[in-house]
Amino acid sequence: MITGQPITLWRRFLRFPWHLLLLSLALVTVGSLALYSASEGSWSPWAGRHAVRGGVGVVLVFILAFIDLRLLRKWSYFILLAAVGMLFVLMVVDSGRFVSRWITIGGFTFQPSEPAKIAVIMALARYFDEQPPERMQSLLVYLPPLVLITVPFLLIIKQPDLGTALALLLGSLSVLFAAGMPWRYIFTAIVLGLGSLPVLWMQLHAYQKERVMTFLHPGADALGAGYQITQSKIALGSGGLFGKGFLMGSQSQLNYLPEKQTDFVFTMIGEEFGLVGNLFILSVYLLLIGSILAISLRVGSRFAQLTCVGIAMMLFLYVFVNVAMVTGLLPVVGAPLPLISYGGTAMLTVFVGLGIVVSAVVHDRSEN
Amino acid sequence: MNKKAREKEFRRVMTRRSLLLGGMQLGIASFLGLRLYQLQVAQNSQYRRLSDRNQFDVKIVAPQRGRVFDRKMRLLAGNAESYQLRVTPLHAKDLPQVLDDLSTIIELKPREREEVIAAAVKNPSFRPIVVRGNLTQRELARLAVRSAYLPGVTFEKVLRRIYPQGALTGHVTGYVSPLTSRELELNPALQQLPDLATGKIGIENALESRLRGKPGSERVEVNARGRPIRVLRDFEPSAGQDVRLALDIGVQLEAAEVLRRGRSQTVNLSLPEAQGAIAGNAELKSHIAAGDNLVLRDPKGNITPAESGAVVVMDVRSGEIVSLVSAPMYDPNIFTEKLLTRDWRRLNDHPRTPLLNRVTTGMYAPGSTFKMVVALAALEAGIINERTSFFCKGDMELGNATFHCWQKLGHGTVNVLRALEQSCDVFFYEVALKTGIQRIKNMALRLGFGAETGIDIPGEKTGIIPSHDWKLATHGVAWTPGETVVASIGQGYVLATPIQLALMTARIANGQFAVEPSLLARSKTPEFAPLDIPESALRIVRQGMKMVTHSGRGTARNYNLGVEFGGMAGKTGTVQVKRITKEQREAGIVKNIDRPWKERDHALFVGYTPVTDPRYAISVVVEHGGSGSSMAAPIARKILEKILRSDRGLV
Repeated sequence: MITGQPITLWRRFLRFPWHLLLLSLALVTVGSLALYSASEGSWSPWAGRHAVRGGVGVVLVFILAFIDLRLLRKWSYFILLAAVGMLFVLMVVDSGRFVSRWITIGGFTFQPSEPAKIAVIMALARYFDEQPPERMQSLLVYLPPLVLITVPFLLIIKQPDLGTALALLLGSLSVLFAAGMPWRYIFTAIVLGLGSLPVLWMQLHAYQKERVMTFLHPGADALGAGYQITQSKIALGSGGLFGKGFLMGSQSQLNYLPEKQTDFVFTMIGEEFGLVGNLFILSVYLLLIGSILAISLRVGSRFAQLTCVGIAMMLFLYVFVNVAMVTGLLPVVGAPLPLISYGGTAMLTVFVGLGIVVSAVVHDRSEN
Repeated sequence: MNKKAREKEFRRVMTRRSLLLGGMQLGIASFLGLRLYQLQVAQNSQYRRLSDRNQFDVKIVAPQRGRVFDRKMRLLAGNAESYQLRVTPLHAKDLPQVLDDLSTIIELKPREREEVIAAAVKNPSFRPIVVRGNLTQRELARLAVRSAYLPGVTFEKVLRRIYPQGALTGHVTGYVSPLTSRELELNPALQQLPDLATGKIGIENALESRLRGKPGSERVEVNARGRPIRVLRDFEPSAGQDVRLALDIGVQLEAAEVLRRGRSQTVNLSLPEAQGAIAGNAELKSHIAAGDNLVLRDPKGNITPAESGAVVVMDVRSGEIVSLVSAPMYDPNIFTEKLLTRDWRRLNDHPRTPLLNRVTTGMYAPGSTFKMVVALAALEAGIINERTSFFCKGDMELGNATFHCWQKLGHGTVNVLRALEQSCDVFFYEVALKTGIQRIKNMALRLGFGAETGIDIPGEKTGIIPSHDWKLATHGVAWTPGETVVASIGQGYVLATPIQLALMTARIANGQFAVEPSLLARSKTPEFAPLDIPESALRIVRQGMKMVTHSGRGTARNYNLGVEFGGMAGKTGTVQVKRITKEQREAGIVKNIDRPWKERDHALFVGYTPVTDPRYAISVVVEHGGSGSSMAAPIARKILEKILRSDRGLV
């Protein structure tokens, strides 16, 4: 094992995983074009700002690339604590009528639940990095992670943001899974999880239950969420193989499509660019996720490996939940399509995730 | 070494698990791809159709309804622009929330709110629901600014039917009201025009097809919030035809006023005495509640509501109806939009049934006004002539029964002229017995009784002209001579509507043609069928009718029209409503005014003017008004005088 050898800036530059940056920039570009179309062919109010945010994201990736991953490892528990703290503050300072998912600091609003996802992943990665391999078979080892996951999960579900909470849960579990959790615990956890569903159901807000019910009986609520799904399917379905053309999506342009700039942006792309456009986007995501997973296999540190797996899973869940939602496979839970949907926080989170992955590559010391 | 091996094993597990995760993700992604294929390729044509329907809302555009004018082109029924506030549940999404928001802008009663919600449940969600019709300027201004933020909320400029003359012409124009479910059932095409108001009664109903016009169609491109983006007119709607009625508002006003006032004096409603009377009199209260502010003091000093009854004035040459009054009246404006239960109840519970059009559906025993029919039948059949006389001793015996003349002391020897002049009953008893009911019936039918007159007001009643056959068919027993006697003075089974009485008078006055009534102004007199009654007989009857007002013994001698107007001929009728028993007769008949209103006689008068070359015929019925001579005749005279004055440009 070659350790302690200084890594020059040049070597770091050579190692830089440019393809990650290219793929994510491709997605931001697609997003900008889609948002340009969503505002009936205008850079304002969404497309221009989206592109600028993409640029900021790239800068963020570069900044993170210079931060040694070990530093993040060291601070990971503290970061999680800070994220949970913010979630807690949000719960206490409930601003009355509006659903509180956002914190406003000096005119800049963001959702603490997004960084919380990455914080949990890194905390778990560090936790399992510290465990001696022989202890991995013990059930006790899995109790602290349960707390690490459950606290932010419950805080987010109370916000209420079911989609993000589930994404956090599944993303974290993927870290446990990759860390080598024995199958017997996995199956037990699955059985317990299914058993606790009724309890979870009781915890849901009325509108969340309604959404789930709508999903199960789409015809029952033709004016509410059922309307959104129906319109989304009409827009997607009418797009056909090649779509109606850029700026030509009548459903989107005529505002039949709700939330077309955020949660339903994939639908709008589908209407204007058809199946081909949608599959192209899915492929780009798969390439990005696949690249991150490939990196996880390559890097030396266990912390880096697990973090990469978690971030890949997080990205995948974003895409899956959103696409499944707009195609009517999942209830409308309010999940953005990362890097394409308008909305700062999700994009920021993804770029932070990418930055961490880049850092893992750049600062990798294993050198094979 | 051991540790290293474990590390290696660790790494192996992680690699395997990562690949497993990757594979799972790839599998799920493929599944999503398949789902997209299913939506976008397999079911493409289905969604494409739905998408096209989303984009354009094909709407049928209601035509502008034709207006109705009086003979001097004064508006009787028109269209006023009004703004409707509507909400489309499909676009509103959260309807209760939108209604909550709306109620911060305009006052929205809980009842209105419930109705909207109920309508949203019942109707397809894309159909707009009218939240409020006829918005005020103030509401409009407030809404114009703020409704843009409310999804699914729109206004529509609509034309609301208005009747500027209100109650005065209510029974003529009738009214339009929103489509009923029955209409929709009969004509499902009307589904496309949910806001259409159709004529339910009166001219509005009779001329529905002419007034309605032809709808057009347009395609409205709307967004998901229901905001129209672009409107493409495919077919312009064509407005309904305007119609001009023969009615003269000036005459109508006078007729309504004179009829309703009768012989009484108008009472100032603000007087404490009037208020007290209203508070203690349920009937007066319902009059006031139904919007009738005419309260009277009768000759005995009692406070009473306005008189009820009917007046028809007809042009004897053209059949044009110059005035048509049925009292009590109602304001047709309350029906044009959503009828308030309160308004409906007030009209429906009103003891004198304002919604009943007495002119066409009020059936009254014609009383002595029927004597012309008997006279004409007898004269035509040659049973009597001008000189045929009978002796009236005050009553006539037939079998065991005694039939009284209204004049207890008798009229002495009277011929047909004197009998008409003084309305001698016994003369007509004798003549009718000789003429027979069948001949009387034949004459009555020729004069317009027993059948619809064909006036442009649907739902007309035919009245009854009895006969042998009719009695057998309806009662199963034979006709008796006594019934002929009763029928000869227009009582018993005989029933006629005020329009029939006017028509009879017009035909007698015209003499040549069987004129037919028309509410519409006629540009030229149509070729009516010949009347086919000998002129000699008509001349005698007209002479008798002239004597009613001109002769010193005529029943309406005090109410002739001035010579300058050419005088008036006519016939009074006093119709017994309650049977007078033998005891009552011997005790002396109680004067009308001393009886309860419901038991008083109906007062009738039919007449025409001028006496030579007649122009207008009139019939007047005052329900429980007392006698034809003192109540109905002066009303007729005043109305005819008004017409003749206005014809000559006099005020």
